[in-house]
Amino acid sequence: MTLRWISCRVSIVVAAIAAIALSDALVHAVVAQTPFGAPRPAASAVQQTGGIIGWLLAKQSEFYREMSGAIRAAKNDGSAVTTLLGISFLYGVFHAAGPGHGKAVISSYLVANEETARRGIVLSFASAFLQALVAVLIVGVGAVLLNVTAKTMCSTERVIEIVSYALIAAFGARLVWTKGRGFIGALQRERSGGVAGPGLVPAMSHAHRSAVAHGHSHAHHDHGHAAHDHHSHASHAHEHHHHDHAHVHDEHCGHNHGPTPDQLAGPGGWSRGLGAIVAVGLRPCSGAILVLVFALAQGLFWAGVAATFVMGLGTAITVTAIALIAVSGKGLARRLAAGREGGGVLVMRGLEFGAAGLVLLLGGGLLLGYLSAERVTCF
Amino acid sequence: MMRLFSFAIVLLAGFVAQPNDAQAHPHVSVTSTSELIYATDGSVTGIRHAWTFDDLFSAYAIQGLDTKTKGVYTREDLAPLAQVNVDSLKEFAYFTTARSGARKEKFGDPVDYFLEYKDSKLVLTFTLPLKVPAKTQELVLEVYDPTYFVAFALADKEPLKLVGAPANCKLAIQKPAESKPQQTLSEQNFLNGENANYGANFANRMTVACQ
Repeated sequence: MTLRWISCRVSIVVAAIAAIALSDALVHAVVAQTPFGAPRPAASAVQQTGGIIGWLLAKQSEFYREMSGAIRAAKNDGSAVTTLLGISFLYGVFHAAGPGHGKAVISSYLVANEETARRGIVLSFASAFLQALVAVLIVGVGAVLLNVTAKTMCSTERVIEIVSYALIAAFGARLVWTKGRGFIGALQRERSGGVAGPGLVPAMSHAHRSAVAHGHSHAHHDHGHAAHDHHSHASHAHEHHHHDHAHVHDEHCGHNHGPTPDQLAGPGGWSRGLGAIVAVGLRPCSGAILVLVFALAQGLFWAGVAATFVMGLGTAITVTAIALIAVSGKGLARRLAAGREGGGVLVMRGLEFGAAGLVLLLGGGLLLGYLSAERVTCF
Repeated sequence: MMRLFSFAIVLLAGFVAQPNDAQAHPHVSVTSTSELIYATDGSVTGIRHAWTFDDLFSAYAIQGLDTKTKGVYTREDLAPLAQVNVDSLKEFAYFTTARSGARKEKFGDPVDYFLEYKDSKLVLTFTLPLKVPAKTQELVLEVYDPTYFVAFALADKEPLKLVGAPANCKLAIQKPAESKPQQTLSEQNFLNGENANYGANFANRMTVACQ
């Protein structure tokens, strides 16, 4: 019992460290970004200095500047289109390393949920594709069909931007709600001596119940099957997944893991992912809009459209890379936590809760203007 | 074990939050040419900027604009846009600072502003009057966006002209590439204030000294 008490305290401390680390990173992000109105000389030092970020910025600026020349060249020389597409792709790769493009949101979302690398890739590509599509639609409908002014297009962009940020915040709030319950559930279970029981947290969702039960059943391996049976009653709706579970158990005997991917892909799984795609992908990249309008002015709108989608492809690759780092980061945390008594369930739930909070803070920060991604140009 | 774990968390948090630390690249670039306007008594009364926007932004800015002749953009056609420009620039203090010694000069609202369309590029011309004419030995003028949203570059040829300046005034121009300090920054010399205005080292700086 004393040991249990110690492990309980330790996990609370670890959860607190995790929360502090997450909030520190966020505060850092908030402070580093200043709204347009408040110039901070230090900010310009960041991008002019060397290092990886300086190099990335220099590269993307270079590709961006080359884009207009490439579009001009494509007017007279068809082969220049290849150059344009090459530049667009590289621009996308480098540009996505900057703010925006949903890296933070997608990564946090992946950490908050028990997401697979495969889903991370799909989410990244789908949201990048949607971003490109929205840019093409704004310019296609606004400039080509209606011939509106830049000011009108810009206002449209702003509205879309606000909607996108509000969606991210709402999405984060929902994650905080479910993950918060999971975290509190894990806390309660830890306090009550580690005996998993559905009765303890009656309000918990099915997915969580089984997720928690799994972590547990593995940590106390000898109890594993009993716990599982215990839960089969509560998770009637997931009965068809039981076979999978059993299978995975055999495969990763002794490993701690959450619900299987297809469990998440089940009820509400992909539609929840769709929420992330829309929230992130709705907001187009200002660079793409400028390139599209320029291409249109040069009478080569189609080249602009092609460049935008290739740009999106480049963006997707970078976002995927970062999303994969986030997923494997969580995997590492899970492996480290698995050695702990109780399987580190509390730690993992705490981590997920923190990541969910990050999505909410990112959305809220962007919405209220504390954080700025790429500013929409209206001037 | 716990240390390892918290390290993993910090790493993870870093990856998630990192993108927000990085800044976007500028989506607008401006090539700046300016004139420093002197009164007969040798005091500076204002700055006249002529800013040439890049072709991507120029094409975007004139999209859908109503013109009397299609494809021809006159000053009159562009007047509403010029108004929007100077109005929005106010919020950013016109990306211009003028210092006489330690004193930062204050600007009034811009006057005589207009936009022109030359070689597929927009050129914004406007005059920033100093609220109080400055009569100083040394005036340091900077044109830059510290948030790096607009990339300002001084024109290669004569980025600053002195109009009606006393004969003893000399002009020195410092561009970011040239002014990049060679020394490496240590925490110590950063903290003791020597490099407190590190970021300003990268600004487009024009110094007028009158002995």
